[in-house]
Amino acid sequence: MILLEINDLTVRVAGKEILKGVNLKVNAGEVHAIMGPNGSGKSTLAQVLAGREDYEVTSGSVSFEGRDLLALPAEERARAGLFLGFQYPVEIPGVNNVYLLKAALNAKRKAAGEPEVDAYEFLALIKQKMKFMQMSEAFLTRGVNEGFSGGEKKRNEVLQMLVLEPKLAILDETDSGLDIDALKVVSMGVNSLRDPKRAVVLVTHYQRLLDYVIPDQVHVLTGGRIVKSGDKSLAQELERRGYDWVLESRVA
Amino acid sequence: MSAARQTSSASPAVRSFEAQWHARAADALRPVREQAMQRFLKLGLPSQRDETWRYTDLRALASQSFIDAQHEPPGDVQPDAVQPLLDGAPRAATLLMVNGFPSLQPQQAAIDGMEIQSIREMSVRDPGVLLRFLAPASDADQRRWVLLNTALFRDGLYLKITRPVTEPLLFLHVATGDGANAVAHPRVIIDACPGSSATIIEHHVAQGAHAPLINSNTHIALAQDARLEHYRVFATTAAATHIDSVDIHQDQSSHCKQFTVVLGGGLVRATLEGNLRQPGASLDSYSLLVGHENRHVDCVNIVTHGAPETRSRQTARAIASDHSRVIFNSKVVVNAGANNADSQQSCRGLLLSPTAEIDTRPQLEIHADEVKCAHGATTGRLDPDMLFYMLSRGLDRATAQSLLVYAFLADVLTGMSVTATRSAIENALISQLPDAQLLRKFR
Repeated sequence: MILLEINDLTVRVAGKEILKGVNLKVNAGEVHAIMGPNGSGKSTLAQVLAGREDYEVTSGSVSFEGRDLLALPAEERARAGLFLGFQYPVEIPGVNNVYLLKAALNAKRKAAGEPEVDAYEFLALIKQKMKFMQMSEAFLTRGVNEGFSGGEKKRNEVLQMLVLEPKLAILDETDSGLDIDALKVVSMGVNSLRDPKRAVVLVTHYQRLLDYVIPDQVHVLTGGRIVKSGDKSLAQELERRGYDWVLESRVA
Repeated sequence: MSAARQTSSASPAVRSFEAQWHARAADALRPVREQAMQRFLKLGLPSQRDETWRYTDLRALASQSFIDAQHEPPGDVQPDAVQPLLDGAPRAATLLMVNGFPSLQPQQAAIDGMEIQSIREMSVRDPGVLLRFLAPASDADQRRWVLLNTALFRDGLYLKITRPVTEPLLFLHVATGDGANAVAHPRVIIDACPGSSATIIEHHVAQGAHAPLINSNTHIALAQDARLEHYRVFATTAAATHIDSVDIHQDQSSHCKQFTVVLGGGLVRATLEGNLRQPGASLDSYSLLVGHENRHVDCVNIVTHGAPETRSRQTARAIASDHSRVIFNSKVVVNAGANNADSQQSCRGLLLSPTAEIDTRPQLEIHADEVKCAHGATTGRLDPDMLFYMLSRGLDRATAQSLLVYAFLADVLTGMSVTATRSAIENALISQLPDAQLLRKFR
């Protein structure tokens, strides 16, 4: 079953064309990795899929479970089961982590016609997931990402993902800035979400994460287009030969 | 006499204040009052040419004639009808002031650690004590209405704190009456003895179709090692005009935590003057200013470090929606010789509508050599990255915005030690923020 289908997507940011015709199909049950050099448009793609308003879609289409994703505001995309793990999660001092996560879960449940989760049940759930992600309980009383280290912020993104159980998770460089132990924890979190009904899109710079989360497909995004796709061996080849190799082989 | 000549060109408001003055019976405070009234008549009402009044236009007020507000019987006042700030919570006492007249029950004169008296009775029995707290006349424009208050107050509350008192004391100030163009000049004196401590909440409300103009003053004197947490909460009606000033005089190693909270009123002018006059005195001032509908809020803080090793912190958060306007001017003055003064001013404004306006102006005036003074002021809209993050988690826009607004105010709210008051203020805030009722779920 096709979960996400992107056709010829072009996007402008601040008047400049960043995505120049992206095509991608993600089936339920799959893990895709999108790799590419800096400035290739990877983060733009992730943000556009999540519904960032100041990025202008100039042509193309995106469907999510057969629905027109681009017609939905960001919050409805989230409630429909799309999740973006941010490359740079923002700090929101004064808004408690737990409030935000509970509000997010309840918004999703409400949209699905399910009853809201009660406070006790929610606390039990979040504590269990925090333990899994090896996070300190101090997190419960803090503002969203407030004073978190880079690694803690990334763990928090994965924690949110585990609580919200999205159908499609797009993780934008969730592996960057992590030490090896944190990378293992984050990978374990991502793997725990693997399921025949869900899909994960990993946006990453490095092949390192893909040693722990084995992708079904690897795509190279550069210059605003996906220029090459393959299986996990493509990631290994990129690691060995660099991105220039893809560009050169394309010209040749 | 020059004051008499001034009268012919004076505004109707000033002429009516002068008529009130002439109608007053002389009391033991007469010499101080006389001096204050003469200064006031010489200087007149402040205008936008005066430094601290640049943003507030009083011309409409000046064109009215005022009469004394009635001494309403407290039986007609329904304090339960207003938003309670200590709902069900323990308290030392609730003292009611209606149009500036205290309504004291006999048992309230003898609360453990406190002495409470009517200023009018004291002016007969013990005027010498009162005179200590009536500041000498000053030409400073922020003190113009204080001169008038000193000349014209008819009664008020004198509170002496003699020991540490744990439970908060609530002053409920009610402005009431149906006669248009009435004015009241409520006066409060808080006299904290050495080593005493207390929490005092002054809650200003209005009821009736035409609540009087209120020109109130609270004088706070903290002796050595005294500690006070003081709140003034303005929750009057959209038609009400309130001009208030708090003067705080602090002796050695005293500490004052002061909250100014504007949640209601049509025009609210709130002045705070802090005078750190002995070493070790410390003042934490918090302002939470909410502009809503057509409200005009003008807040002026002037903190003077008059001695070495004094410390002040000013934290102001202003929010303006609809067509409201919020002004926050703060000034720190460090006198010569007040070395090692340590001050910080943080003013932040949040605009929630394109037709609202916020003006903040932190100022420093330093005459000493060794000081540590910092200030910062920013005004803006909600952060789009924070908003997008929350939307991307499925929160609807209204909830996300409300949470951000609430977070913006957190620095002030979390400073409040009285939990019941803090939650009552939060509830009142929620009712004035767009779509904020959603927030109740998350508290």
